[in-house]
Amino acid sequence: MSALLQVEGLNKHFGGLHAVRDVSFSLQRGSITGVLGPNGAGKTTMFNLLSGFIRPDSGTVLFDGSPLVGLAPHQIVNCGVARTFQLARPFAGMTVLENVEVACLARRVRHSGAPRARAAALLDQVGLGSQADNEVDVLPYGDLRRLEIARALATRPSLLLLDEPFAGLGAGEVGPLADLIRALHKSEGLTILLIEHKLREFMQLVHEIIAMDFGEIIAVGSAAEIVRHPRVIEAYLGADDPVLELG
Amino acid sequence: MLQILIYGAVISSIYALLAVGFTLVFGVARILNLAHGAFYALGAYGVYTLTANVHLPLWLAAIVAVVLVGLLGVLIERVLVRPLRRSMLAVLLITLAVALMIEQVLLLAFGSEARNVPSLVDVTYHLLGVDISGQRLFALAGGIVVLAGLWSFLQFTRLGSAILAVSQDAEAAQYMGIPSDRMYSIVMGMSAGMAAAAGVLVAPFQSVIPSMGLLPLVKAFVIVVVGGLGSIAGSVVGALLLGFSETIIAFKISIEWSQIVSVAAVLVTLVLRPAGFFGKRAAF
Amino acid sequence: MTGDRIDWIGALGALALLVVIPLIFGSSYIIGVMTVALCYGMWAASWDFMSGLTGRENFGHSLFIGAGAYTAGFLDVNFGLSPWWSLMAAPLVAVLFGILMGFPTLRLRGPYFALAMLSGSAVMQNLTIIFSVYTGGQDGLNGLTPLLDSTLAQYYLTLGFLAASGVLLRLIANSPWGLILRAIRGDEATCQAAGINVNFYKIASLMISAAVAGLGGALYAHYQLQVGPDLFTVVLSINIIIMVYVGGIGSIYGPIGGALLLNVLTETLRGLSEYRLWVYTLVLVVILFFLPQGAIAPLWRRIRRVLP
Repeated sequence: MSALLQVEGLNKHFGGLHAVRDVSFSLQRGSITGVLGPNGAGKTTMFNLLSGFIRPDSGTVLFDGSPLVGLAPHQIVNCGVARTFQLARPFAGMTVLENVEVACLARRVRHSGAPRARAAALLDQVGLGSQADNEVDVLPYGDLRRLEIARALATRPSLLLLDEPFAGLGAGEVGPLADLIRALHKSEGLTILLIEHKLREFMQLVHEIIAMDFGEIIAVGSAAEIVRHPRVIEAYLGADDPVLELG
Repeated sequence: MLQILIYGAVISSIYALLAVGFTLVFGVARILNLAHGAFYALGAYGVYTLTANVHLPLWLAAIVAVVLVGLLGVLIERVLVRPLRRSMLAVLLITLAVALMIEQVLLLAFGSEARNVPSLVDVTYHLLGVDISGQRLFALAGGIVVLAGLWSFLQFTRLGSAILAVSQDAEAAQYMGIPSDRMYSIVMGMSAGMAAAAGVLVAPFQSVIPSMGLLPLVKAFVIVVVGGLGSIAGSVVGALLLGFSETIIAFKISIEWSQIVSVAAVLVTLVLRPAGFFGKRAAF
Repeated sequence: MTGDRIDWIGALGALALLVVIPLIFGSSYIIGVMTVALCYGMWAASWDFMSGLTGRENFGHSLFIGAGAYTAGFLDVNFGLSPWWSLMAAPLVAVLFGILMGFPTLRLRGPYFALAMLSGSAVMQNLTIIFSVYTGGQDGLNGLTPLLDSTLAQYYLTLGFLAASGVLLRLIANSPWGLILRAIRGDEATCQAAGINVNFYKIASLMISAAVAGLGGALYAHYQLQVGPDLFTVVLSINIIIMVYVGGIGSIYGPIGGALLLNVLTETLRGLSEYRLWVYTLVLVVILFFLPQGAIAPLWRRIRRVLP
């Protein structure tokens, strides 16, 4: 069976900086894959390339056989690839419900049910149902992350790109969010690619890990393999990461 | 041809005086000073009053006018602008209010008729079959002298280097012990003085009316948008470009067409390179 | 009663008031002032629809006004067509200008967009003077034909158009379209990530804004019976923005109220003509510092809360 996402030879320069270097990988349907790497490894840049916010210098991205390179971000969303942002920037001045409702107006899902009703259901699904009519500006950080996920789900994606969903969460909030992601993976039949900087939960969530450093993929494998991989250890040398404590 | 060269150079040097002052204030103090044109007008009216009413010799009147306007600039910065520094919009509005007020005062004091300022150099030269007024040449020379003076000041004096430092990184400058607040006042004063100098230099051959500062303000703004807010080199290049293209078009086509150059330049710049062609960072 | 329903009833009440006013104060001077105020109402509402909702402040709105007005002028004076043709052609020409300015400025944000639009209207202002052979230069075009015979009839016609466009704009603003426009104000990147074609909505809202403004321009031209380059000025754009802020940005009806209020106010202050600019600046400063939500829309919302 062909891969859902096939990335081949992706490259991106920013002036003199080679931010993403010849990145190639593929994602099988229904898999949860993690992208691991220190700051500046090129993870978010790669996400931006996949989701169309930046154009690559070279390389191809095939989603379900169709090329994504050159499409505008909203077009990629309407193909079935949704993403969240590391720094959530919700629609200020609107309610939580309206924030998701907008995504329900995407061309892909516009006619699959009343937007407002769908948005309410999605909020319930991520556990924000009670906050629906609140102004999004007062939403606590942890809830903003759930909102991001609800907004991404609204477009009925087949592939979900999560950019550091656990960043900035307190110890008690990480577990529930990971459970939510796991539940959604099952109920929506999603394929998930998820960036995380360093986290225990992440290791238990993903099937496979792609490790990056300086824009390159340095290792691909299961959590157990990655943690022992010499190049990965080298990349993290000096950083006190709980990642390396999982042996 | 020679006429275009001279006229273009004169206009460019005046524009450069105005634009460099405007961009200096923005680059250092982060103020979009809408009263800049008013300082220009005050320079012209200042030299008029000091010669016509106080009967100072022209050269002295010029210097006094420039200095007084410079001091006014410092005063305005300290009293009106500094308390509102937090909000760029508030500063913009207060400088707008100052500009309006100055124009009103000039209108009340001098009426709307154009005033006559005698030329410092009352000679007309004949070069290559073309008449060129000595005053215009003097304006060109004056502009160059002032700009050269400014450049030397910024490059070779401690205060000048401090000002450059603040324009590049205000916070870092403060860590080095440079008092930003005082810098802002000084830069405002210098900018006002330069605008006044421009007004003094053109007074003999431009109409001295209360609203004379509006168009120069617009031109300065245009040059600074095109050249890049905060970039002195950009302002000089921009001034040359605008000055010469306006002159060439005015001579070859018509005056009306020459006026469109400035606004068209802004539009083109914003569509192609919003930060300006020499601007290192976005202005807003 | 839902908030929306009260809004419509309130609008109906305001409309009734506007219908009745000229019957009470019959002087043609007052009717004239009110007709001009109604045109400003259309200009303010159309500005609010685009800039108020999307947050992309257009400092060159006069471009569309002048385009509409001069279209009316050309068709009437140069081609001798009936003034009713202007009402159809003016919005179309204005939309054309909207497209012309809209595409190159798509990626510009905030002050850059504002400045670019401002330059656009300034360029047109200059072109009008340059090509004075066709446009009449500073004097403009004179001798346009009025749409209807009596000033009162013209007033009601303009009121009709204002009401219709106000209702239309408000309906769109309250629809999913409006939601998307407000989301664009919230965050464009997030909007893209939500699968929305942001560029489409930016252009479309600018076109709609231009159409209504152009229509207002034509109505104004056929009322004043002359058009001049002062319809392309920055001052006009800024006055309209001030009216919008006084009325309450983003509400559509607030700006209409703001336009009416400020027009009446400046007429009553006619004696202090030199200080008019001062008055406007003062009003702007007061609004910006003390009443950023405006005066009229918040006031109405407060009244609405008290009603059953």
